[in-house]
Amino acid sequence: MRSTAHPWWVPYFFVSPFALIFLVFISYPLVESVLLSFEQTYGPKTSVFIGMDNFRFLLKDERFWTAVKNNCVFALASLGLQLTLSLGLAVLLNHPKVKAKAFFRLILYAPSLVGTVFVGVLFNLIFHAHDGLLNSFLRSIIPGFPQDFPWLQNYVMTAIVLSSLWLYVGYNMVFFLAALQNVEQELNEAAAIDGANAWQRFVHITIPAIAPIAGFVVLMSLIGSFQLFELPFILLGRSSGPEDRGLTLVMYLYENGFQVGDLGYASAIGWVLSIILIILAVAQRLMVRED
Amino acid sequence: MRNFLEMAVQLFKTFSLGVRVVLAMAVLSSLLLLFFSHPDRAGLDFWTFSKTHVVMYVPETERWNQRADAREPVRISLLSGESLNRRILSSFQSDTPGPDAVEVYSSIAAQCFKGPLQDVGFVDLTEKIRAEGLASKFNKTSLSPWISRGRNFGLPHDVHPVVLGYRADIIEAAGIDMSAIETWGDFVRVLSPLVRDVDGDGYIDHYLLNLWETQPGLIELLMLQAGGSLFDKQDNLAMDSDVNAKVLATIVSWTTGWRPIATNAPEEDATSNKMRQEGYILCNLVPDWLAGMWEIYTPNMAGKYKLMPLPAWERGGRRVSVLGGTMVGIPRGARDFDTAWNFVKHLYLSREVARQLYRKTRIISPVVEFWSDPVYDEPVSFFGDQPIGKIFIKYAPEVPERSSSAYNSLALNALTHAALKLKALVANEPDMASGRMRSEAKSLLTEAQRTVARQMARNVFLKPTVRGAT
Repeated sequence: MRSTAHPWWVPYFFVSPFALIFLVFISYPLVESVLLSFEQTYGPKTSVFIGMDNFRFLLKDERFWTAVKNNCVFALASLGLQLTLSLGLAVLLNHPKVKAKAFFRLILYAPSLVGTVFVGVLFNLIFHAHDGLLNSFLRSIIPGFPQDFPWLQNYVMTAIVLSSLWLYVGYNMVFFLAALQNVEQELNEAAAIDGANAWQRFVHITIPAIAPIAGFVVLMSLIGSFQLFELPFILLGRSSGPEDRGLTLVMYLYENGFQVGDLGYASAIGWVLSIILIILAVAQRLMVRED
Repeated sequence: MRNFLEMAVQLFKTFSLGVRVVLAMAVLSSLLLLFFSHPDRAGLDFWTFSKTHVVMYVPETERWNQRADAREPVRISLLSGESLNRRILSSFQSDTPGPDAVEVYSSIAAQCFKGPLQDVGFVDLTEKIRAEGLASKFNKTSLSPWISRGRNFGLPHDVHPVVLGYRADIIEAAGIDMSAIETWGDFVRVLSPLVRDVDGDGYIDHYLLNLWETQPGLIELLMLQAGGSLFDKQDNLAMDSDVNAKVLATIVSWTTGWRPIATNAPEEDATSNKMRQEGYILCNLVPDWLAGMWEIYTPNMAGKYKLMPLPAWERGGRRVSVLGGTMVGIPRGARDFDTAWNFVKHLYLSREVARQLYRKTRIISPVVEFWSDPVYDEPVSFFGDQPIGKIFIKYAPEVPERSSSAYNSLALNALTHAALKLKALVANEPDMASGRMRSEAKSLLTEAQRTVARQMARNVFLKPTVRGAT
């Protein structure tokens, strides 16, 4: 048995680097941001205590609600389209008859290595009304297709969702693929012998087996959807698009905090966003637990 | 203490060689940072975002630094526009290190005017300008974007008058005499026959104007030309005026309906250059800086364009407007205000710099006495040998006055909303009578104004009665 004779302060000494970093870089900013959300500021130097005014204004702020709506639409599209496609591709790739799995996995995963800013720039060119690749293609196959179809003006959310599909479908597919590869084949084989068809095996064996990973992917996608910033910001030319059709909560926070200089209002937005994310995370945990 | 050292040594001995090296490097680099911090550089820093400005300013700065009475040398630093904006706002709002003099866009200057007057990051130059009689040296309306609550925080770098640029090769070949166009009504009537499908592919090949609801800067430009504005001289909202409603309704009628004459090609975009080159857009609203950019970035278009005054909204009306602007200001944190002030005057009141500015960028100087300089009479081959400097200068005194409101960008955003809503209404009812369009435009502008007013009302710093700002 090793001796434990050491001065009383030794454990504290070892814990102190973490404690110091946690206090300075996490706890202090958190407390400060709570205080800021009750102030109106012009940069950090100039501030006035205004009580709940930021939150009261937030509730009546049309732009804030537009951002909430846009985030919700994007989150629904992410869950509905992105995860369905990711799972579908993973199931396809997991099929024993598919050859060159590693190659397809790389091809599908590659877009997520590119970086959101680059994807924004790329899709801005693709969706360009006059000379974009998409419109040029559609004009060539659909007679009478509008000359300058305004994707980035009238169909902003569609454009954002399509860009994000390209970016994230392969990324989420990797998680599903890993989960599918851990599904016990004996169960599938036994069910097949008992007469279960492919769909029944998928619903009753595969889905329950991958549920924990699926839950994780759903939660991450939801959080990511509410943190959406770079993609629409770059895609729409560092703006929120016409009529704020591409405005997201983080964009609105950024605009208020770093362009307008009202850190108080930005903190209030940040806290409301945090509360939304906490509610979503708790709800997701509860649902997974019930399952 | 001895215990502690013994423990530390014992602990160190338990580490592998790699960990020991990393630890030693961490300690060493921390000590280096602690004891060898970067010394303050002597002299004054002048920040700008324009490479062309740097090229012009460097020789003048060298001359300045060699002057016997130059107390401190001045250094010119080139920063990208975005990082300059970010750093200057951080410098003002958080006391991070900043320059001793800086050139900023009008939109950034307006951001600096959002807080309490005493917290504006630039030195108030009002008294200096008055005492030295500088106001009369500059084009009168070019000072307005740099004045907030009656106080002047900068000297204007430019005037930026806007005229009409047109594809002379296509329009004149069609036998159209542009000098006969006096109003926007004439413009549409005379040029509309050119909006057509030339090659028979089912798509229009020429539009008359680059203008769209999502380009609020251009809508504001036309409102200013017509005598309207988003804010009045006291920075109160004035969005829902009859003039603004008339302009907005007219613009939407140009972009929407049975026979639109305008299309969307945001400037400074490679695709818009291509659209101009193809003749897809025949006319543009051209400030002096854009004329210079066209020359630099699309030299293959030389000789195809000409400039003329804007068509007026009414016969005898104003034939010019304004777009963009830059000022030079001196931050409160400047180490030597007098030297910085004398240096910026040296640059901005230099005839040679004004000449270079025009030759390299086509931007005309805001200093009125320089307008007689022969440089502005030089023919410019890109514009069919027109002396474009003379055209800009002729209309420069009529450039409309602008507000410096920090809420201008928000108002522009609200203006886009109103324009798009009106566009949607007209798209559903292409035969809408012009009178009804104007009344719809007015009510949409009133709604937009209310949105901006709500945001303005919550700014406690702009209310003179507010106490307790720390």
